[in-house]
Amino acid sequence: MPSNLPIDLDICMTTELPVQKQASRPAWLAVLARASQEDLAACLPTLGPLPEVHTIRPPEVGMMMVRGRIGGTGNPFNLGEASVVRCAVRVGEGPLGVSCALGRDKPRAKLAALFDALLQDPQQHDHLQQTLIEPLAQAQRQQRHSRQQQAADSRVEFFTLVRGES
Amino acid sequence: MNQRHLAGGLADGVHDSQNTFRALLDAMARPGQARRLGPALPGVALGGAMARLLLSLADDETAVWWQHDGAGLAPWLRFHTGAPLADQPQAAAFAVVTDLSQMPCLADFAQGSPASPEQSTTLMLELPAFEGGVPQAWRGPGIENVTVVNLAGLSDEFWRQCQVNQVGFPQGVDMVLTCGEWAIGLPRSTQVQPALER
Repeated sequence: MPSNLPIDLDICMTTELPVQKQASRPAWLAVLARASQEDLAACLPTLGPLPEVHTIRPPEVGMMMVRGRIGGTGNPFNLGEASVVRCAVRVGEGPLGVSCALGRDKPRAKLAALFDALLQDPQQHDHLQQTLIEPLAQAQRQQRHSRQQQAADSRVEFFTLVRGES
Repeated sequence: MNQRHLAGGLADGVHDSQNTFRALLDAMARPGQARRLGPALPGVALGGAMARLLLSLADDETAVWWQHDGAGLAPWLRFHTGAPLADQPQAAAFAVVTDLSQMPCLADFAQGSPASPEQSTTLMLELPAFEGGVPQAWRGPGIENVTVVNLAGLSDEFWRQCQVNQVGFPQGVDMVLTCGEWAIGLPRSTQVQPALER
């Protein structure tokens, strides 16, 4: 999963939360990175009034090398470059929220960073985790599963009969 | 490292850094003439010129040496530019000097080599004022005849080191002197002498 790398890097650079508290942060960041802008925007009105949102790093688009693995040896190779968009915001004086996602959708990146900041706020965390992250994670799991199912249906098994002397 | 103190960067990254770079080119081409780089950035405990220079010039290949980083600005610069920290002045591409009385000798910074003089350190010095100091006469490329500056906060020893720095040309360090929103260039090619009292 290519977009894992910058998120982990940003977490390393910007977080000061104790390890046990941020254990699920990579998980919700991954969910936010795959969420559509409509899904994220739909959750905004449920939050109530927010403190001022400071944009620490405005949404910016860049390129990232996507690496893959092939063959039994697992040596990585460069698959190609992908557009990614990243953003960092702070809500009031709270913790820093970051996002990094495939694509060039800047409003989406800003929303995702906003929700990352809010999810680190203990008062908002449980509400958001239940109303936003878990339904999105469930939907993403189902989508992935159905695509895997489609691919599995077209799978062809090759058998080679033993030839020659036995 | 405290993320709560992580301030924002340039409001318009592309154009703000281009304007800063243009102003710095002018400042280095006309030593002794102050150029305005822009107002201070909210939440950043540096002068506007110094903060904008750092954000515009530093990147992930330029190590930055901080003389005193009491305000915790190294993580801020690293977040916005990816610039690594230099633990020795010798290893720095840029050096941020905010306490002139404790300043290391200019020879302690990277001087470049005869084959690669561009690999020397560029110093950024925050001065208390551009006026009120001992008058110094600057001569050299970019200066018609002579220009007299009286920068505050710089010791006689500093100006002696500048003379040595100039003699080593093409090696030696370049300097940008900042004060609030303004910057003055002092490249290694500039000859510095105490101005004669009148």
